[in-house]
Amino acid sequence: MLSAQERAQVAQVWDLIAGHEAPFGAELLVRLFTVFPTTKTYFGHLGSCLDEVALLNHGQRMLMAVGVAVQYMDCLRAALAPLATMHAQMLRVDPANFALLSHCFQVVLASHLQDEFTVEMHAAWDKFLAEVAEVMSEQYR
Amino acid sequence: VHLTAEEKALVTGLWGKVKVEEFGGEALGRLLVVYPWTQRFFDSFGDLSSADAVMGNPKVKAHGAKVLQSMGDGIKNLDNLKGTFSKLSELHCDKLHVDPENFRLLGNVLVCVLARHFGKDFTPAAQAAFQKVVAGVANALAAKYH
Repeated sequence: MLSAQERAQVAQVWDLIAGHEAPFGAELLVRLFTVFPTTKTYFGHLGSCLDEVALLNHGQRMLMAVGVAVQYMDCLRAALAPLATMHAQMLRVDPANFALLSHCFQVVLASHLQDEFTVEMHAAWDKFLAEVAEVMSEQYR
Repeated sequence: VHLTAEEKALVTGLWGKVKVEEFGGEALGRLLVVYPWTQRFFDSFGDLSSADAVMGNPKVKAHGAKVLQSMGDGIKNLDNLKGTFSKLSELHCDKLHVDPENFRLLGNVLVCVLARHFGKDFTPAAQAAFQKVVAGVANALAAKYH
C-alpha cells in the first residue's frame, strides 16, 4: 500500500510523462529489449524487426496503461482488471519479466529526471510498479 | 563476464567519469531506503530512521564508497571477476551472511544511480553493458557460497 506521500510522488512524475507516452514508452521497450533480450520472445506479433513505429505505438499503449494505474492508484485491481485478464489468458508473460520492466522504467525515469529522481521518488515508483505487477499476475492461477 | 569491445569501451569510458565516493554512498543509501529490509545488515550504522537520515549517514557514505571502489577493481579485471572477488565472496558468506540476492538489488540500484548522473549518455547500450558487469560481479560474489 502506498502512503499519501508516495502517491503524490508517483502523480508528480506522471505530470511530466503525460502527453509523451509514445517516446517514453518506446525508450522503455528499447532498454528492455537491449538489456534483457529474452523479453523479445513476447513481442513476435510486432514483427521480426521492431521498427521505430512499432516501438512508439506499443510503447504508447503500455505507458497509457500505466497512466490509468496512476490515475486509479486507490483501486488498482478494478482499474487494471481487463489488462490483468488479458495477461492471464492471452499474453501469459512470465511474472519474472515484470520486475525487469519495472527496473528499466526506473532507469528511464532516472535518466530523464536526474536531480528530480530523488530517493523518495525512486522508492515510491519501485513500490508502485511492484503493485502494478502484482495486479497483472493475480489472475494467473 | 563477456563484454564485446564496444561494451568494454562504454563501461570504461563512463566509469572514468564516476565519482566513486559520491556515487557509492548514494547507491548504498538508495538500496537501504528503497529496499528497507536490506538495513538488516547495518544495525551498527546508527540512524537509518528516514530517507534523509540514511542518505546523510556518514557510515553509509563511507561503506558505499568502499563497495564502489571494489566494483572499480572488478571493472579493471572483467576477465577474472571470480578471482578478483574470491576473498570477498568468502567474507560475505562466512562472516557477513549476506544473501546474494542483495548483490543483484545493489547492482540494479547502481544502474539507476548511473542513469541519474549520466542522463542521456546512459544509453540503452551503456545500460546493457553495465548490467552485464553488475550481474558478473554479483555472480562472482556469490561464487564461494556454500
